[in-house]
This record gives sequence, C-alpha cells and structure tokens, in this order.
Amino acid sequence: MEKAKIRVLIAKPGLDGHDRGAKVIARALRDSGMEVIYTGLRQSPEDIVGAAIQEDVHFIGLSILSGAHSHIFPKVVELLKENNAEDIKIIAGGIIPDQEIPKWKKIGIDAIFGPGTSTKDIIEYINRSVK
Amino acid sequence: MKSDKLIKQLKQGDVRAVARLLTLIENEDKSVETILRNIWPLTGKSYIIGITGPPGAGKSTIVDLLANMALKNNLKVGILAVDPTSPFSGGAVLGDRLRMNSAQQSGIFIRSVASRGHLGGLAATTRFMINGLEMLGNDITLVETVGAGQGDVEIVKVADTTIVVEVPGLGDEVQAQKAGILEIGDILVVNKGDRPGSDRLAKELKMMLSLGEHTEWTPPIVTTTAIKERGIEELWNEIIEHKKYLENNEINKTRLNKIQYDLENQLSQQLFTKKMIQVGENEIENMSKKIFKREIDPFTAIETIIKQ
Repeated sequence: MEKAKIRVLIAKPGLDGHDRGAKVIARALRDSGMEVIYTGLRQSPEDIVGAAIQEDVHFIGLSILSGAHSHIFPKVVELLKENNAEDIKIIAGGIIPDQEIPKWKKIGIDAIFGPGTSTKDIIEYINRSVK
Repeated sequence: MKSDKLIKQLKQGDVRAVARLLTLIENEDKSVETILRNIWPLTGKSYIIGITGPPGAGKSTIVDLLANMALKNNLKVGILAVDPTSPFSGGAVLGDRLRMNSAQQSGIFIRSVASRGHLGGLAATTRFMINGLEMLGNDITLVETVGAGQGDVEIVKVADTTIVVEVPGLGDEVQAQKAGILEIGDILVVNKGDRPGSDRLAKELKMMLSLGEHTEWTPPIVTTTAIKERGIEELWNEIIEHKKYLENNEINKTRLNKIQYDLENQLSQQLFTKKMIQVGENEIENMSKKIFKREIDPFTAIETIIKQ
C-alpha cells in the first residue's frame, strides 16, 4: 500500500559529539519522504538495537567518527541476531578506513558511506534495498 | 497464514510482534482488521495519559520523567510520541526519543509516530496504536501529541487524563482566555518554572479557571522544571488524584462516549469511501465544473450525488 513508509533509525554511538553528519542525513532522508527516528548522541549498541526493534525500522544508520566502529559494528550485528531482528539492515557513515570495508560488509554491515558521499546516493540505495 | 502467527506472538506479548503490528496499523494495512478483531477483547486495559502543549514546552522530557515515576510505582508503561510529517515530502524527523533516554534505558517501549498529514495533534491511527501497544500488558499508556497549536485538541477524545504543558513567555493573559487547548487540560503544567514569568503564568491560569464554570473537577496547576526533575512527583500525584476522581465518577461512561465518538468517525469515513467509489471521480469532477460555471449550486449537486 502507498501508505507504507520507509523508516530509518539514525544513531550516533560512541563518545564523539560530531553529529552534523547524522543530522544532514536525517534531514535528507526526511526530504525524500522517509520517517527518520533520530536518537542523538552517545547511544550504546543495546540502546540502538532496542530502539530499532520498537520503532520497527528497515534500516539502522550509524554515524561514527571516533574509531569506535570496530567495537560497535560487531556488537550491533550480534544484538540484532540475538533478537531475531537480522532483517533490519545496517548502514554506516563517518570515518571508516577503506581497507576495512570488506571486513565489515562480511560481518553484516550492509553498506558504508564515507565522507563526500552524495545524500542522493544514500537515498537511492535505501529505496532500492527496501523494494 | 502470516497474520495467525503474528496474533499468536501478540498474545504472548512479544515485543517485535507488537512493533510490527503498530507498523501495520500505521500503514492501514489490509491485515489489520483481522488482527485487531482477534485481539480486541484483550485491549482497552491501560490508563491513558495524554500530554500536549506547544513545541519546545518540555513534553518529551516530562513524559520521560512520568514514565520512570510510573515504573517506581511498579506500573508497566508504554509510550507513543507523535511528531509532525512534512506536508511537502511526506517524510518526518521523529526526535522525541532524544529526550527519553532514561525511559529508553529502563526498557520502556517507546514508539515514535509521524502524524502523516492528520491534523488535530495525533495521527489518524493513534487510537488503534494504543490498543496495539496494550498487547504488552502495560498499565499506563503515555501519549505525547505533536507540538500543538491552539486548536489541536483531539487528545482529549483519546486520553483518560489530559495534561496541557505551558511555558512562560508566549503571550499575555488574554491568551489564557481563548478557547481551545487550555480548556481540555485535566491538569495544567507550567514548565520551565525557573524562568522569569512562570509564577505570573501560573496565576493567570488560575485566574482563568476561576472565571470559568465551576465543575466537580478543577484542574490543578502544577509548576515543574522538568530538566531539573522538579515538580514531577507533584504532577504524578495529581494524575493519581484525577484517576481516582474519574473512577468515582463513571470512568466507564466517559470511555464509552469516546468509543462512540470513534465509531461515528470510522463509520462516516467508511460510508464516505464506499459512496465515493460508487459515484466515481468523474462524476465529482463533472459536478465541480457545473458548479464553477454556475449551472448548478453546490447544495443541489450534493443532493443529486447522494441520490445516485
């Protein structure tokens, strides 16, 4: 039905406070007609997965610039598994070294968008995956 | 069937299933009727507290604190927080969770809801979403409206206790005399009590109430400073007082009235849809053209269409 909306949770795990990127993405997704649940700074993987399940989102978007992703990514993947919620996909952005990307994709991060990615590409990616 | 499995999981109070049901209700999915029919006898068991007020008044923060207060009193809570949908893109940024960190960490079920074009402060499907949420077995449902304007009073048709949150600095005492949102509060809250003008606002609200008709329940005015967690216990106590008052004064009659109101709404919606399908879009367009050319007046047009 037409009334169904794509829902995305945007979270900012870890301790850095640079949330400009997360806010830009939230706004761009909103303007493309999605419903964005913005949870703000310093979210633990448990908070994020709990919120994603309650909000019944299609995607979790993680913005990480501090290097904490090597701890956060596996934890979020694992928690989704534990909760039988592997159908919720994870996308990430921020500072993730290019050479690590294949490794993260392998454990279950759906896509990684580095600095300079156009918001249009992200929107297209999400739209394509939900279909 | 998929629905059967979901119904079974709902009856076990499964969190994921409840979340899924809320999505189906929001999307007005075809399967919703079957599911709601099955669980209907199990719903309607929570006490519904509505929180409304202008944007930025502190509604989400107060909801967060009230949720934890309820937990302390060994009551199970669920939260629905409505935010507006963009009229241009149809999208929304739902940010109420930002202020609900402690509720989130206590494991309370919070669902952000986009208004999806519905006016009045709620989404069109909020009532059924409350029923869906009740499958978690919660004693209390907290419903936060969109940042409300003066006419967004729909919450009163949904909540058992309606709390209107006001803040100082938004207008003079004449604002308090106007009809609308201030009239619907069972409890009035003056938040940001540490700001200048909060005492005055509380006095003005009191004056407004004293000028009005005297009813059995006079809305108390509670001053809070939510970010410092001040005044929340007092607010909680007033909610309990109001609940007791309702329970001694035919709460069932009030709830029945609300159900009747809903039923009339849903019925008119369905009748409207049925009739529109029967008449067809072309006929509406033709009639509009005739009205535009002054060949027919709107009243005759409506009469003709209804008779078809």
